[in-house]
Amino acid sequence: MAHHVEVQHNEIREIPKPNTGWIWKTFWVLVGITAVEFVIAFTMPSSTLRNSIYIVLTIFKAFFIVAEFMHLKHETKGLIWSILIPVALLIWLLVALVTEGSYAGELLQHTFSS
Amino acid sequence: MSTSSSTLAPTTNSVELEQPRSGTWDGGNEPFKASYGKLMMWFFLLSDAFTFAAFLTTYGMIRHRNPVYVGDVENFEFSTAYWPIPEKVFNAFPGFHGVDLPLAFVALMTMILIFSSVTMVLAVEAGHRMDKNDVQKWLLWTILFGATFLGSQAWEWSHFISGHEEGTLLSDGTMFHGANLTMNQYGPVLFGDLFFFITGFHGTHVFSGVCLLVWAFIATTNGTFEKRGHYEMVEKIGLYWHFVDLVWVFVFTFFYLV
Repeated sequence: MAHHVEVQHNEIREIPKPNTGWIWKTFWVLVGITAVEFVIAFTMPSSTLRNSIYIVLTIFKAFFIVAEFMHLKHETKGLIWSILIPVALLIWLLVALVTEGSYAGELLQHTFSS
Repeated sequence: MSTSSSTLAPTTNSVELEQPRSGTWDGGNEPFKASYGKLMMWFFLLSDAFTFAAFLTTYGMIRHRNPVYVGDVENFEFSTAYWPIPEKVFNAFPGFHGVDLPLAFVALMTMILIFSSVTMVLAVEAGHRMDKNDVQKWLLWTILFGATFLGSQAWEWSHFISGHEEGTLLSDGTMFHGANLTMNQYGPVLFGDLFFFITGFHGTHVFSGVCLLVWAFIATTNGTFEKRGHYEMVEKIGLYWHFVDLVWVFVFTFFYLV
């Protein structure tokens, strides 16, 4: 194995102090965005604008989880792009199928109402 | 220990080649400066993201195919004629029978999962510092939150299946309560089906994650990673766990909020 040459150092070694500030910062950002989502859910009537706000806030949350918790922000550019580009294609899938769904719904309603 | 048969090291007489290149990446370069395991976990998660995206896109498509409820939210009644309003379906909380608490329980579940993500990243951070006790502590917290989430989901499912008191009046005059794969009191058949499949698929992921975490906790306790010299396994399981949290963020928005 790759580590068979590693020197065993079993003497008492210093464990560095934890550095957790950035973790809790990300946590509060996530909690804050979720709280805003709930405020919107109970104060704003359902509309396309409300749904757009939800989607933007969701993407914000996703960004913080992937960039900070999953550490993608600190990986090489090649890795970042190889994850982001395929995911971006899913937006096209979503838009195409939701449009198709609306069209099918309209068609069904007209068929049965006339 | 014989290394001659397993290694792909070139047969040079170079003196600087002190040890055979027997690592996973025998070419010598690490693609994307990430270890083999982490890279493969990323690509697995990418493929898993496709599956979840397919589920949620299906939800969007079917929801748009069904008519929207028009009228005041207060007068809303369950019907198969239109898509239900989520806050009218998910308004129960354990111990508060009959009290209308829209989205309260799902808010709690969301918080539990965000917390579990934080304790997971704390475990990874402790692993970087080779702090065995801290890794153990945070893994245990993550297992606890993960198991609590699973329990909450079990309650959510059983409530969804047994149903609200009102029920839905069927054409033969009987009342139908709750949901199964062919009928539900809340709205179109596919509303119930998509609830079971999407939250079920996510719950299965959480369950697998908890199993992996329990295994990692045992391995940490036994000193396996300490001996190995790194806690990369905890990092890889962490990637998976955050992904599960990430999926919930989307499920939460598209299933409960929109």
